[in-house]
Amino acid sequence: MTDPRDGLLQALRGVVDPETGRDLMAMGMIYEARLSGGFAQVTMTTTSRGCPLTEMLRQGVEAAVLAVPGIDRAEVCLTWDPPWTPDRMEAQAF
Amino acid sequence: MPGKTLSPWTLSWFGSAMIALVLALVLALALDIGPGGFDRPEALAVVHLFALGWLAQVMLGALVQFVPVLAARPLAHARLALPALLAVSCGTLALAGGFLGLNGLATLRPFFLLGPALLGAGFAMLTVMILATLVTRQTLRLAEVRMVMLALVGLAGLWLSGVAMVLTLEGSGVVVDLSQALPLHLLFGIGGFLTVAAFGVSYKLFAMFLIAPEGASWQRHAVFALAALMAGLLLGGLALLAAGGRVMPVLIGVSAVSVAGCGLYLHDVRRLWRARRRPVPEVNMAWSRVALGFLALAVLLMPLAVLQGGALAEAGVFAALVGWLSTLTLSQMIRITAFLTWIQVFAPLIGRRKVPLVQQLTQPRRAAWALALWSLSAGAAALCLLAGAHVGFRLALGGLLIAALLILSELVAIRSLSHLPKSERPARLPPLILPVFLKPSLQTETQR
Repeated sequence: MTDPRDGLLQALRGVVDPETGRDLMAMGMIYEARLSGGFAQVTMTTTSRGCPLTEMLRQGVEAAVLAVPGIDRAEVCLTWDPPWTPDRMEAQAF
Repeated sequence: MPGKTLSPWTLSWFGSAMIALVLALVLALALDIGPGGFDRPEALAVVHLFALGWLAQVMLGALVQFVPVLAARPLAHARLALPALLAVSCGTLALAGGFLGLNGLATLRPFFLLGPALLGAGFAMLTVMILATLVTRQTLRLAEVRMVMLALVGLAGLWLSGVAMVLTLEGSGVVVDLSQALPLHLLFGIGGFLTVAAFGVSYKLFAMFLIAPEGASWQRHAVFALAALMAGLLLGGLALLAAGGRVMPVLIGVSAVSVAGCGLYLHDVRRLWRARRRPVPEVNMAWSRVALGFLALAVLLMPLAVLQGGALAEAGVFAALVGWLSTLTLSQMIRITAFLTWIQVFAPLIGRRKVPLVQQLTQPRRAAWALALWSLSAGAAALCLLAGAHVGFRLALGGLLIAALLILSELVAIRSLSHLPKSERPARLPPLILPVFLKPSLQTETQR
């Protein structure tokens, strides 16, 4: 059985930014991901505070995380402090 | 709430604008409009159908969508979006009908006063929505936000100068010198409203599409300062017009400020382009570069057009309206339509199943061909206006019409998800231009 911590990271890698085709980890949009027992806490951002996809991306991350075996509760919070910049992207993203 | 910053009426604005674009081009061909003939009533009807029906509507529709993104909060007074759309589209048709009335079609004459009244009501509703959304302490420090607000001053000046001209032509108590009012009216519309709004919107959009740093530069603040100076000069020109004075000194001042402002804007966009993280720009950005070339051409022609008028003025105005503003708008409209369609259909499925990318909803080669034909035809038509070549101008208009129809068919294909494999399409397609309020039923059907 996969370690829930690996599953959490894999789940986050599975959520793709539809504009760039890159996953949210590669885009540098996941600021923090923690697992305590079956409770996952994720802090994420979007490329722009007013992005119309903001809430849908947050809900998508929540759904992906909750689909991981061993995780039964998830809290996904949005923050824009610090704001996202292209420098946060992984070097290999493009 | 998902999609709370989305305006559901944007595609209705886009649809209405595309109909006006095609109608204006068909009428321009049918009514034999060409070099030296833009003061004919039927030509004025077509020009207003193009400038107001196409460009102003698409810009206002884009602002209704974009202002919540800039302010990071939902559109204020969102219920006004539909009445504003109806007022602007009906007002444009009434004004065009009124111009035809000047040509002896007496039954259309009453529409001449109705047009500005409806347009004024529509513009007022939009101004309330945009200002109520944008004005916050956080947003006012952004130069691009201030540019969008400044564009509303240009819109007010456009309307006021237009009303003065309509009342003069109607023989009412108001009389202004039409030869003085016309250049002011054109500069309010092309420069004060459309170009300043395009600058404000493009700073954010270009950074998003190119994946470039958004930080404001000194050039951006200087562009805003020059745009504010231009608006001030134009308002001064309006006061001079009311007092019966000559506006030429104002026009020369506006030309000088415009050359400097556009030069700085182009320099700033070049900086964004070079700082981009997306190695190969998508089709919307590739063809926006062509639009920026037309902007440079139009603003370089401007001082000559102001001093000499005639063919130079016709070519300059054409390069601005058709080359700069329309090429930019058509390029971005394809991308924005794909993005909004994607949100309506696939956004609720993020993280739950594999979804296509926004780019997969478009056919970039087809869009690029259509935009190439549009740009070539716009350039050829501007040259024909300079040379007074009537047949060449009409051939170029034909090219513009074919390009507009190709882009329209691409927009319909995007809305119909035609470029996706059948297995990835939802059971029920979103409506072509009517709003979707992200109903759970649509999401459920897509998941099946």
